Amino acid sequence: MELICIGLSHRTAPLTVRERLALPESRQVDVLQRLAQAPVEALWVSTCNRVEVYLFAPNAALARQRALTELQLLGGVEALEHLYEHQGEAALVHLFRVACSLDSMVLGEAQILGQVKDAFERGQGAGAVRGELMRACAAAFSCAKRVRTETAIGRAATSMAAAAVQLASKVFDGLAGKTVLVVGAGEMGELAARHLKQAGALKLYVTNRTLSRAEALAAEVGGQARPFEELLGLVAAADIVVCSTASPVPLFTRDNVGALGRGRRSRPLFMVDLAVPRDIDPAVGTLDWVHAYDVDDIQKFVADNAAARAEEAQKAGVLVAQEVARFVKERALREGTPVLARLRQRAEAIARSEVERTLGALGDGLNDKQRKSIEAMGRAIVNKLLHEPTARLRAVGPEGEGNRLAGAAAELFGLLEEEVGTAAAAPSVMAAPVQAATGGK
Amino acid sequence: MSHTLVSLACHAYGIAAVVYLAYLVRQSDALATAGRVLVGGGLALHGVALFELLGVQSGRPVGLAQGFSALAFLLLAIFLFLDVRYRRPVIGAFLTPLALAALLPGLLMQGGQAPLPPGVRQPLLPLHITLALLGLAAFAVAAGVGVMYVLMERQVKAKRFGLLFSRLPSLEFLDTLNRRLVLWGFLALSITLATGAFFVGTAPGPWTVDGKTLATLVAWAVFAALLVARSVAGWQGRRVAFLTMAGFCLVMVSFLSSYDVPAPSAAMRMP
Repeated sequence: MELICIGLSHRTAPLTVRERLALPESRQVDVLQRLAQAPVEALWVSTCNRVEVYLFAPNAALARQRALTELQLLGGVEALEHLYEHQGEAALVHLFRVACSLDSMVLGEAQILGQVKDAFERGQGAGAVRGELMRACAAAFSCAKRVRTETAIGRAATSMAAAAVQLASKVFDGLAGKTVLVVGAGEMGELAARHLKQAGALKLYVTNRTLSRAEALAAEVGGQARPFEELLGLVAAADIVVCSTASPVPLFTRDNVGALGRGRRSRPLFMVDLAVPRDIDPAVGTLDWVHAYDVDDIQKFVADNAAARAEEAQKAGVLVAQEVARFVKERALREGTPVLARLRQRAEAIARSEVERTLGALGDGLNDKQRKSIEAMGRAIVNKLLHEPTARLRAVGPEGEGNRLAGAAAELFGLLEEEVGTAAAAPSVMAAPVQAATGGK
Repeated sequence: MSHTLVSLACHAYGIAAVVYLAYLVRQSDALATAGRVLVGGGLALHGVALFELLGVQSGRPVGLAQGFSALAFLLLAIFLFLDVRYRRPVIGAFLTPLALAALLPGLLMQGGQAPLPPGVRQPLLPLHITLALLGLAAFAVAAGVGVMYVLMERQVKAKRFGLLFSRLPSLEFLDTLNRRLVLWGFLALSITLATGAFFVGTAPGPWTVDGKTLATLVAWAVFAALLVARSVAGWQGRRVAFLTMAGFCLVMVSFLSSYDVPAPSAAMRMP
């Protein structure tokens, strides 16, 4: 079984190509179900900056071919020209880096972790993420948490939404007193709304096709929810428009925005399009009084600021390397030594040590029979305690649920830390299992 | 004495221009403070020189050289006020070189001390000239701010996130500053025109429209139209910035045609 990653991102593909692969959730589930036919596992990560498919498969070449066929069907032949691929440990490192926002357009931005978690849940819901891929994702999330707490990358980072606010400040002299319209109440919309409100926006309107979602977001950020039908009227009153809807066609065209010019007396309008496919037709930006930016423009903007965050990203990179190495070792241990045997060894070692301590404390006052009784009691406690978990683990077998239970048991009883500690002290011992784990078998 | 002081002030302005240009590249509070101190010091020396000079000339600059010198002084005084008020030192990178360009002819040209014709020796003349120069300086700053606006708008529209994009103030700030400066300049220009009309009305002989009067009237009309377009039609931004530059050029023509430009002579001296 081997992990492979095939995808494209803002680094390799233009927006027009990414747009074609930006599938609605229902279609993502369809693709997952086609790709993840047992024992293959699949994860489809789709954000405005990347579309990636992770596959955990016994036959990597076959799984790769099927993924490429899907990607070609969805994005055309052109999409294949922009793809990158990672395999084995490199794929694992990539997954960790993506979750930790080290591969993001804005280094350290917070949204990506939520987006990967959403993809993970979608994969689980579709039955496409089950065993090893599930564990890899969990380890990636835990690594992301460590990166955020142990480095300043989150503090130093500028999210897409924060970058949008910064760009707005080049048009307006501060956001105080400005009217902001947030179109789309998704995660990006929510972040944008929070940033704009924090920056001092006076009025904040939220509109969404489903009014209830707009109402929920408006209540959360202190704005007003308005029906989607009022969209153009709201734009006429706004200074800043941020959109991030899932609309397959642009909501704003040169015609419908241009028609608002007279009523606004050409008052400047700053529009940020965080959606893929785009909500704002690029021609809107040709209007004199409109300053329209899409996700690629924001990428250009934040790329110029990357140096400030590069140092923290380096620290985070070291953490990722540690966490990946740890995961790889854990996996080798999981596959190398049965959990039950290690659990029994551990329990027996504890019982032996406690019995010896007790016997030592009691001194020479005990005869041989009494000593044997105490030793037998220690063994009996171990046997009785381990009987139920042993029976259950044997009943479910080594694959699927059994794999999950074994992993949980190893984690609960601290078997992994113990073994990883031993492995770290003697890396040469671990070299063979690591290769076995990453090289496929 | 006054020439030496102006020369020293010119050096201070020159160094300030370099400091502000350095600030454009590397924003640091130390550079901003240094620029402010240099401009402030230069203005003090320059002010003393002008006071000394105008004191013996009944409160009015005489000749193109002094006119340029006074213009540079007022321009930098307005800049210093704006810098202290709004804390946008980057404007200095555009205005200090402009002030230097206005001051250098004053130092290079000698003369212009011809006595005024008796017909225009009016008690209101110092007010007329001061306001004219103040208006011109305000328009010069407004035009400089207009240049900044056009540059910044180009960056914003083209999505070029380079040095100018990161350093220049927001479009809204530049547009608002332009509006205020044009308004003050227009008021000064209007009073200048009114006092000028008063002089003409009280002077003997028929009134003829000369180049200066024509340029001033056209400039006044341009700025009046600009202010009306701003308040009535909501004009702003690039159009207004270009109109301000055009209006400033017209006022400059009026200023230059107020003087007989002397040819550079052997008395030309470098600061």
